[in-house]
Amino acid sequence: MTGALLVVGLALIAAGSGLSAGRRTFTTGLGVQAVGASLAAVAGFAVFASGGDLGAVFTSALEPRLGVDPLTGYFLGVLGVVAAPATVFAARYLVPDARGRVTAALTGVFVLVLALVLCARDPLTFLAGWELMTLVPAAIILVGRHDRAARDAVYAYIAITHLMGVGTWIAVLLLADAGAFGGGGGLEAGSTTQIAIACAAIVGMGTKAGLVPLHAWLPRAHPIAPGHVSALMSGVMIKIGIYGLVRVLVEWLGETPDWIGVVVLAAGAVSAVVGVVYAIFQHELKRLLAFHSIENVGIIVLGLGACLVLRGQGEEQWAALALAAALLHTLNHAVFKSLLFLGAGAFERAAGSLEIDRLGGLLGRMPWTGGAFLVGAMAIAGLPPLNGFASEWLTLQVLLAVPANAGVGAGLAGTVALGALAATAALAALCFVKVVGLVLLGRPRRGRVATAVDAPLPMRGAVAFLAVACVALGILPGLLTGPLAGLAPWPVDDAPTRALEVPWSDALPTPGIFLFLVLGTALLVAARGRRRAAPVPTWACGQLVEPELGWTSAGFTKPLRLVLEGALRPQREITSSVRGGVLQEVRYEGHVPHLFDSAVYRPVTRVGLAAARHARRLQSGSLTAYVAYLVALVLLLLAAVRTGVIG
Amino acid sequence: MSAESASAAVVQILGGVLLAPLLPGLVQHWKARLQGRRGPSPVQPYRELRRLWSKSAIDVEGATLVYRVAPSVAAAALVAAVALVPAASSAPDLGVGHSMLALGGLLALARFALGAAAWDTENGFALMGASRDLTLAVFVEATLVLSLAVAALAAGTTDLAGIIAGTSGTAAWTSPGLALGAVGFALVVVAETGRQPFDNPDTHLELTMIHEGPVLEYGGRDLALLHWSAAARHWIVLVLAAQVFAPHAESPWLQLALLPVVLVVLAAALALTETLVAKMRILLAPRLLAVGAAAGLLGVLTRLVDIA
Repeated sequence: MTGALLVVGLALIAAGSGLSAGRRTFTTGLGVQAVGASLAAVAGFAVFASGGDLGAVFTSALEPRLGVDPLTGYFLGVLGVVAAPATVFAARYLVPDARGRVTAALTGVFVLVLALVLCARDPLTFLAGWELMTLVPAAIILVGRHDRAARDAVYAYIAITHLMGVGTWIAVLLLADAGAFGGGGGLEAGSTTQIAIACAAIVGMGTKAGLVPLHAWLPRAHPIAPGHVSALMSGVMIKIGIYGLVRVLVEWLGETPDWIGVVVLAAGAVSAVVGVVYAIFQHELKRLLAFHSIENVGIIVLGLGACLVLRGQGEEQWAALALAAALLHTLNHAVFKSLLFLGAGAFERAAGSLEIDRLGGLLGRMPWTGGAFLVGAMAIAGLPPLNGFASEWLTLQVLLAVPANAGVGAGLAGTVALGALAATAALAALCFVKVVGLVLLGRPRRGRVATAVDAPLPMRGAVAFLAVACVALGILPGLLTGPLAGLAPWPVDDAPTRALEVPWSDALPTPGIFLFLVLGTALLVAARGRRRAAPVPTWACGQLVEPELGWTSAGFTKPLRLVLEGALRPQREITSSVRGGVLQEVRYEGHVPHLFDSAVYRPVTRVGLAAARHARRLQSGSLTAYVAYLVALVLLLLAAVRTGVIG
Repeated sequence: MSAESASAAVVQILGGVLLAPLLPGLVQHWKARLQGRRGPSPVQPYRELRRLWSKSAIDVEGATLVYRVAPSVAAAALVAAVALVPAASSAPDLGVGHSMLALGGLLALARFALGAAAWDTENGFALMGASRDLTLAVFVEATLVLSLAVAALAAGTTDLAGIIAGTSGTAAWTSPGLALGAVGFALVVVAETGRQPFDNPDTHLELTMIHEGPVLEYGGRDLALLHWSAAARHWIVLVLAAQVFAPHAESPWLQLALLPVVLVVLAAALALTETLVAKMRILLAPRLLAVGAAAGLLGVLTRLVDIA
């Protein structure tokens, strides 16, 4: 039954994908895709809830097999929850010209490819899906835009994800070789093979997830994709990296040495802080949101790191809870980040630009989209009673369990990560106060924004659905944590409850907090009454409030920029032009450079290019030289076989 | 419900909601005395709340619903926080639990609401205060979590009522951990109550204020709610300081009986620091808070080393 539902859902996505390529059937096609995605989500969550398997089980043999188990089901649910509103949104967001139709068709293909990776049950299908998952969004971006900037960004995206993605191949092929693709096998704890697989997986899958310092592709590629595809990329695609990490590190490798867990914790903490700090200094909304994806992947990976460390300590109940924290934040981030990207897409359509200093007042102009965006912003800032708060709370709990249960080294790492996560949450709040203020509140800062109108019904409905999901997941996260902890490959006694519960006789009564805040606000608003004096202009020391007095993103973030000056190295340039001894004009320019580009990626590229220059000398073009190379290679191989190095 | 937990609940609600304004009143009163002035009476905040409640609220031209609802959201978040922070180890769950890790979220919600309202009015001074407040909050929140983590590890729970029970008596003070946590938390108290060296509650000079900035555009009942929220913030951090980071009795009755005494002492200590310490350059304040976070981290470390 569930299996049939899933197959029908995926078939509908495929059919919808084909239909949406047609001029007349464009809208119908996207609608069919949305129905298919919803069915797939229902089927996925059903498998997750029932705890059974469908189809094939994992094999290390190189023969194509597909199947669904509860973890796959959960991620299929995440995929459907994002894909359904994204395709509904696309029905009015995309213009049904040639490019729009190809984009719509490729959107369905993208969803299917993501499902393929999740359902793959053998190394070959997994790797094929993994590569397609990188290539399809690159194709979608290039269909939509072919200016030089977009081509460069796509090139960097493919280059980084493929070069570092080698780690995924190494990990998967080593696992297959050891017969451990799907767990089991003869991998000893602490053996070289096991550690090699773990490191390769962290690099390869971490790149796809956007972990710092492997993240440089993410803020390049995500902003230039169409809005609904950005939502799928940030909401789901990078989570497939998380899916891979969970499979390899938590499920298949068995117990790993402690330091692997500490490395994962460190990667998570660094990603969370670096992601949110750079997000604060962005001026373009979608680029800002892309940096926040890095932050949130960091938070998810903090949960995974805590899981690995705690399992190493034999604290299996806590470890399962840490896994639940990571997976819960995966779903929560998918929901609010796709909401924010869809909202950004709607704002771009209505206002023509996403330069955040040039928007403003959109809550009044676009109450539906703006209101939903406000909910998403509060959720990503980790504010109660929304979903981001619930999963960040659970992640803080499991991080605190690390020093409570582990030794000095891992305990210290856990405590630093705890402080980093608390600071990250506060930084995210700072960032989204800025975003909400500059995009939604105040006066329109540019002519076209003042005449913006709210998005058409399908787009509004899509963001409203996701906003409701943010609230619902914030009230009842406890329904998910029990089954999520049950996904751990070791036995745990789960007790699904309404509130979030952890072993320390301590619970977070999320429904109670929701009621308290909502009723409290309502009562206070009523007590305050409606009586008020006539509106007055805002106080600016008696001056008239001119648009030139308006605050900008750079102004609001200046205290933090100054505090972090040593680490961020902001660049400033002041040029004054003097004509005839009179100062004519002073121009101030400042920005916060992305130091990873200049300090990490540029030297690496430079070395790579220099090496390529040297290697090019081998390509002399002379036939005799090539024959000589071949002879040398054959001799070398023969010598190797003879001495027993290979074969 | 036993008599112990019922009386703890009564103290918590009555104290947090009704007596909270007395705390900033006492600090201002004593500060004036220490500076050789007569100063306002300790009940001055109540007079101001009564005066403000009888006036109508003010609308700023062009502001939206966010500006009008923000004071209520901030005050509701503080009411929830008052309900969250137990007055004694026997305090019952009032529907929001006692999780120490939820406290930061509730305080952040109040901050977010006021920051958003500042953008809504586009008042430059409000935005200046909000941006500084949110910047400091980054360091305050990390210090808050790390210093409470010391207490949580000593007590073996993150439930605040459990923490109060677990750190009571003398046993918890045999290791230096809790004292180091107290150093960090002391800085949180000063920062959250908006006092020197982080902020100057007496200044209304627009360029120097932090917490007074975002409330600049409000009047009447809105302002009353915001003043009450500031007072409730005093109650929350001072109760935590008294019942977790100061030596306290094991019996809930004694805890409740001694709470007013310790609160008065702590308010006097705040008045004293206000008098002795000058305001710090805003950009140096994060360094001081980082010292607090480091103290919390050291506190955890001493515990880890103790066990190992």
